[in-house]
Amino acid sequence: MKSIYKILAIVVIMSTAGCKKDLEKTPIGIITEGVAPTKESVIFSARSAYQLLSNSLNIIGEWGWDDGTVLRNDFILQDIASGDMQKKWNPDGDQAWMDQFTDFSFTSSNSGVKGQWSYDYAGIARVNLSISYLADGASSTTLGIDENLRKRMLAEMYFLRAFYYFDLVNLYGDVPLLIKPLANFNEAYSVAVREIKENVYIQINKDLAEAKTLIPGGKFSDAVEKWRVSKGAILALQAKVALYKQQWPLVITIINELEGLNYYSLNANYFDNFSIAKEFTDNEVVFAYDHQSNTSPRSGNGLNALLGWGFIAPTTNFINAFEPNDPRLGYTVTGQDVYKFLGELNGNNKGNDDAASNKIYIRWADILLWKAEALNETGSYPAAIALINKVRERARLTVNATGTYAPAGTLPDRNVASTDKVQIKAWLVQERRVELGFESQRFNDLKRWGIAKTFLTGLGKNFQDKNYFFPIPQGEIDRSGGTITQNTGY
Amino acid sequence: MKENLTNVIHLIPTKLWPGLKGIFCIIVVAMLHFSASAQADTNDKTITGKISSAQGEPMSGVTVRAKNTAKATTTDNNGDFTLVVPENTTLVFSYVGFKTQELSVSGRSAIQVTMAVMENTLNDVVVVGYSSQKKGAITGAVASVNMADLDKRRVPDVAQLLQGQVAGVQVTQSTGAPGDGINITIRGVSSIGSSSDPLFVVDGLPTTSISFINPADIQSMTVLKDAAAASIYGARAAGGVIVIVTKNGRKGKSSIDINYFNGVQQVANLPTMLNATQYMNKMEESWNNSGNTGINPYTTDKGRADLANTDWLNELFVLGKSQNLQLTASGGSDKVQYLISAGYYGQNGIVVYDNDQFKRLSFRTNVNANISDRFTIGTNLQISNSVQDKISSSGDAPGVIRHAFLRPPVLGVYKNVSDPNYNAADPFTDLPFYSQNVAANGGRWNGGANRYEFSSNPIAIANYTNDKRTNFKTFGSVYGEFAFLRNKELKLRTNVGIDLNMNHNKAFNKNYGDNDGYTSNIPADTGQGRQNRPTNLSENRGQDITITWTNTANYTKRIEQHSFSALVGTEFITNQSSVIGATRSRYSNPNGSFQYIDFGGTVIYDDQGKPINTPWNGGAAAEWALFSIFGSVNYNYDNRFFATASLRQDASSQFAANNQHALFPAFSAGWRISKEKFMEEVSWISDLKLRASTGKLGNQSGLNNYNSLAIYNEQGTLLRYGNPDLKWETTNQNNIGIDLSLFKNKISITADYFQKKTSDLLLPLGLPRFVGDVQPTLVNSGTVSNKGFELAIGYRNNDHAFKYSVNANASTVTNNVDKLNANLPNIFGQVSKTEPGQPLNSFYGFKMVGIYQNQAEVDGYLTGAPHPEVKPGDIKFQDLDANGIINDNDRTYLGNPNPRFSYGFNLGANYKSFDLNVLFQGVSGVEKYNDLKKIIDYDTRPFNHTIATLNAWHGEGTSNTVPRSTFNDNGSSRVSSIFVEDASYFRLKNIEIGYSLTNFFGKSKSVFQDLRIYVSAQNLFTVTNYTGLDPEAYNMFDQGTYPQSRAILFGINVKL
Repeated sequence: MKSIYKILAIVVIMSTAGCKKDLEKTPIGIITEGVAPTKESVIFSARSAYQLLSNSLNIIGEWGWDDGTVLRNDFILQDIASGDMQKKWNPDGDQAWMDQFTDFSFTSSNSGVKGQWSYDYAGIARVNLSISYLADGASSTTLGIDENLRKRMLAEMYFLRAFYYFDLVNLYGDVPLLIKPLANFNEAYSVAVREIKENVYIQINKDLAEAKTLIPGGKFSDAVEKWRVSKGAILALQAKVALYKQQWPLVITIINELEGLNYYSLNANYFDNFSIAKEFTDNEVVFAYDHQSNTSPRSGNGLNALLGWGFIAPTTNFINAFEPNDPRLGYTVTGQDVYKFLGELNGNNKGNDDAASNKIYIRWADILLWKAEALNETGSYPAAIALINKVRERARLTVNATGTYAPAGTLPDRNVASTDKVQIKAWLVQERRVELGFESQRFNDLKRWGIAKTFLTGLGKNFQDKNYFFPIPQGEIDRSGGTITQNTGY
Repeated sequence: MKENLTNVIHLIPTKLWPGLKGIFCIIVVAMLHFSASAQADTNDKTITGKISSAQGEPMSGVTVRAKNTAKATTTDNNGDFTLVVPENTTLVFSYVGFKTQELSVSGRSAIQVTMAVMENTLNDVVVVGYSSQKKGAITGAVASVNMADLDKRRVPDVAQLLQGQVAGVQVTQSTGAPGDGINITIRGVSSIGSSSDPLFVVDGLPTTSISFINPADIQSMTVLKDAAAASIYGARAAGGVIVIVTKNGRKGKSSIDINYFNGVQQVANLPTMLNATQYMNKMEESWNNSGNTGINPYTTDKGRADLANTDWLNELFVLGKSQNLQLTASGGSDKVQYLISAGYYGQNGIVVYDNDQFKRLSFRTNVNANISDRFTIGTNLQISNSVQDKISSSGDAPGVIRHAFLRPPVLGVYKNVSDPNYNAADPFTDLPFYSQNVAANGGRWNGGANRYEFSSNPIAIANYTNDKRTNFKTFGSVYGEFAFLRNKELKLRTNVGIDLNMNHNKAFNKNYGDNDGYTSNIPADTGQGRQNRPTNLSENRGQDITITWTNTANYTKRIEQHSFSALVGTEFITNQSSVIGATRSRYSNPNGSFQYIDFGGTVIYDDQGKPINTPWNGGAAAEWALFSIFGSVNYNYDNRFFATASLRQDASSQFAANNQHALFPAFSAGWRISKEKFMEEVSWISDLKLRASTGKLGNQSGLNNYNSLAIYNEQGTLLRYGNPDLKWETTNQNNIGIDLSLFKNKISITADYFQKKTSDLLLPLGLPRFVGDVQPTLVNSGTVSNKGFELAIGYRNNDHAFKYSVNANASTVTNNVDKLNANLPNIFGQVSKTEPGQPLNSFYGFKMVGIYQNQAEVDGYLTGAPHPEVKPGDIKFQDLDANGIINDNDRTYLGNPNPRFSYGFNLGANYKSFDLNVLFQGVSGVEKYNDLKKIIDYDTRPFNHTIATLNAWHGEGTSNTVPRSTFNDNGSSRVSSIFVEDASYFRLKNIEIGYSLTNFFGKSKSVFQDLRIYVSAQNLFTVTNYTGLDPEAYNMFDQGTYPQSRAILFGINVKL
């Protein structure tokens, strides 16, 4: 019998021995550990933080319509929600979630609500990673990154973080505030709490102030890559934050500083802002995402693909908002062509998911109207009206999309003598709507002016007080295990 | 000799060496032991005898053994035997299917024995985990399938044989396309992130697929359903285990068996589509209902003379053909038994043209050799080659079946020769012939303005399908078994198996279709047809090899009324796979003899037409290994009390750092009440046994090689956080059962109740989006439970010339998600939602309550928001929160895709030379999402519809079920109860009638021993309310699949 035990022992032991290392397989084809940053990867990290501002398709996921991640949702959350735009020329059941911004029936699981949140926070995560590389001057030097370049990229990152958070507070109110990369998986839950929006604003202003000290002067911060954040963009965003906070004198001070730089002026032709041919040679654009065709990886404008699929139509109310013969209407929408998006006065880019037309975020006319608003609020009526008239004048003198000029009497000057603050404000509201139509400013404007409810219910929409903020995406509440809370009313 | 051995050893991979050393030790020890025990007995006596059946026929191949010795022989063709045995010994006579008899020699030298057919199956030997057991001693939930009945199923895939046979085993075909997969689920789906498929063990070799096996080669199939039976297979056994043993030769006369059948298949259960006139009227109506102004283009088109009237379904489906040839030779002597078989199965499916074929050629060699009384070696080896023409059998694009439904009947199959786009090489219609002028639209196609929509021509798709999937497989093992100790109580067995797959996929996609005005910077692409533009070839070859090496020691002992057996063993499995592939496009000559990589264009272009890269080539590899130790103990007292315990430990290369070992224990017990004294009076109960079991099973199928690890991109950006604690899913399963036989075993009943709780579900935990765009990390969390009752009843009556048997089985499964994760409270699918308290993947959406009959009803119902888009005739959904707005908060549960009740009913009968076999099978209590109905009848595009839409709402009071026809959204774009249908069905799966001629030419000529001719029919009728093509199709989201066909086969079976 003893030999039996020996046999058993031999079978078990011999088969067991040596197998331990056979079970350790080296992963094939994946990188399982973070690699030390290199000069290239650090520069790439800064560049990639811009990407979430683009209208390129599928920056996040692949055709994630259900997550709202096919492309950035500004046009839905601003232009459709404000009643200027409707989903399609021929209403149908396709992407019904977009229609829910038309009738304010969206819930916290709406794709648009989810998508914008995902885009802004994905941008913030990339910014935070980049800052974690760039903040340490010594190690950047070791990597061979020029100190001026490091400071400039750091400034860009601070600006972008402010930009993304500014979008988030306007849309959602209190939001989680993350300013550095997560150390591990579990930290996602310890940071899952909404910061009150005042504190988010403090961070925004801090980032912008930091950016301002680090950014080099000049209209462009980089002679080649003109799309990068510039000093002008930083000042402009500071002004916009002040505007939204109704810090009127501060708005005027900052814009005066910006004017003093002499970088920008109104283009003679309204369409030069949007023309692919005039990109970075025009006078007016302060900050835009530079879409380009045929790059690898792709960086084209995908919004034009949607135009080809019948998406994006004006509402009658929006078209009616234009005064007779206003050339700006034709540039905004002619037939089923939105020239502002197409970047050319033809439909060739319609259906092109890799178009070169830029996405304009901040331009001079917008800034002038901020100043006009601040001046009006502070009682400087003639100066305010003058700025409004300046914008109107440029519009009326622009050759319209069909190549003819508007007849005399088009877009007449507003009465410079008016001291009626309410009247001037109404002119301003009107001017912003048509000047910046389809440029994803409108819904924020309606909200900050406090007229969203009056205006939208006037259009027969079911806007309620809770809609001053969008709901926090239900997924975020779920994924945090409930430590992220919902906005009131949702 | 020593040198040779050393050479051999050098050839063995180093990783196998340590274990092989162990085996060599065993061999050496075994030889020594063997030689020591081989000693002659004295006082021997020669016994002769004759063995016959109850009918008086001599029986050959009966084993005659002197009890408790190794002395044995088998009877010859005349039923005679001669055996030298010790005096006064007892002889044991055994033959499969007959009662084993014992007879004391008591001084006689010639004996006559009549063997009786065994009606009690309790002594049948059932192959279970790494060993076999008598059926009567089994304490787990184990079902062995009656292969005699399954011989009458003429199916290509072994898995189909199980359909309707075993309570609790759900078998579904993914589609009806030849060669498409079969799905088996045992006791319900129990996982979200892992497969719930069972593990297959074929001749001792674990594998995940059995479709390569030739059904005719199978000896037995045993389903191990509960933990007690399956847990010895550890981390891969949570879905249950199906043990398959292939046939082997027997001692006695050689036999050759030839079986050939040939048959046809026909599509069944198609809906009726609108004809051209009905279609144009319907489109006219939809256009009018869509708020359009101006002249209705359909009204104008109705008058055209060039409208076709095509019945696309009729064009698509033709008669399919199948044939099968099976040759089996078997036989053996005392020393060697063999079975050699060759099989060919070929099917050309029901879709037009010959691009939906499946062919399988298989060869099998099973040999056992008794090297000595104590030492057996053998091999079971199959080589097979299968080729499937992969047609687009389900899904959306290209979806040959789906497009046959969508394509308007006004379009012809072929272009008219006068059509300016006519091309003799591609005569199929594509874009509607009266489509808008592309040139007038700036050279671009405007899909939205098209009146007959962009469906593809399904006949053209079928014609141009050229996608071959070839699998060459070598599957099998060699084994050696040594018996030790005086009564051979200890058996050591080593088994080395290989599962080698050589895959070759080749798809040549030839350009066809109409030029849609597409312009490209690459001149060659401009002006080409819109399908497969440009012509391209995609080809890849893969190799996947699994080596399994199993060693077991099995000890059995009987001391008076105590018998016990113990098993210990180890198993080492290693897998390596790799794939290499390439694509080329722009073939200047797309003919068959040039459809190879070398002849394609060697440059690819960017969007501006600049050559940017070399052609695409790819390759990848993966590997994993699994090492296990296991053991089990069976104890049996007096065949009254039974107990079994087993334990397995698995270690896998796929397990995460902090969970390297998995332990799976199980315990079961049984009590044969019928053997108790107090039951002796109850004569009508032949056998009654109670069983209970509990144990743990694992499911590691959701763990791929590296999914516990963090991954980064090349720039160092984190793409996914890792989880070093990741582990397998664990299933705790309890089972109680009863086996009951009545009236001398005429009636047998088996009933089981089980509870299966799967915890540590693998869930992809998406981090909150505010941490950025990272892929979900897999975590173990959540619980799913399945509970059910299973019943199998058999009745057999062989008392008269009309012999018949009835076997029925039924099972219930109740599925429930008990728990998910605090950070993942629910999981949304395309049309479903999974959350605690509901079954897995429950359909979730809006509930239709009717059709709005007039504007007042709309306004009275939708009070919460303006609703200009909702018109009378649209679908009215339930407003669950009664706030006057229909939004996401009004969604609710609409159905359950998990089958709740399944059943099968087998009837076998024979009278004189006729035999009959019938199988009914069905499912009751299951829902499917009929997405095909959605796109045919409810889409906003001008596709063809079924005649159901002729009853569409067209004014107040006309319909409360079918909404108005419109090109706008009438509410049907929402996921709703309209498309959730009861997919219960009852199907006559198979019926076969045979006529047998025994000893066809008389004994003397004996060319044919037996000849049987038969006719067989499948899917003769189906009773269902489901309006989709096939209620049986596996997908819960039914986009229109290649339907199962009705088949009639004729066959002949000859035994030589």
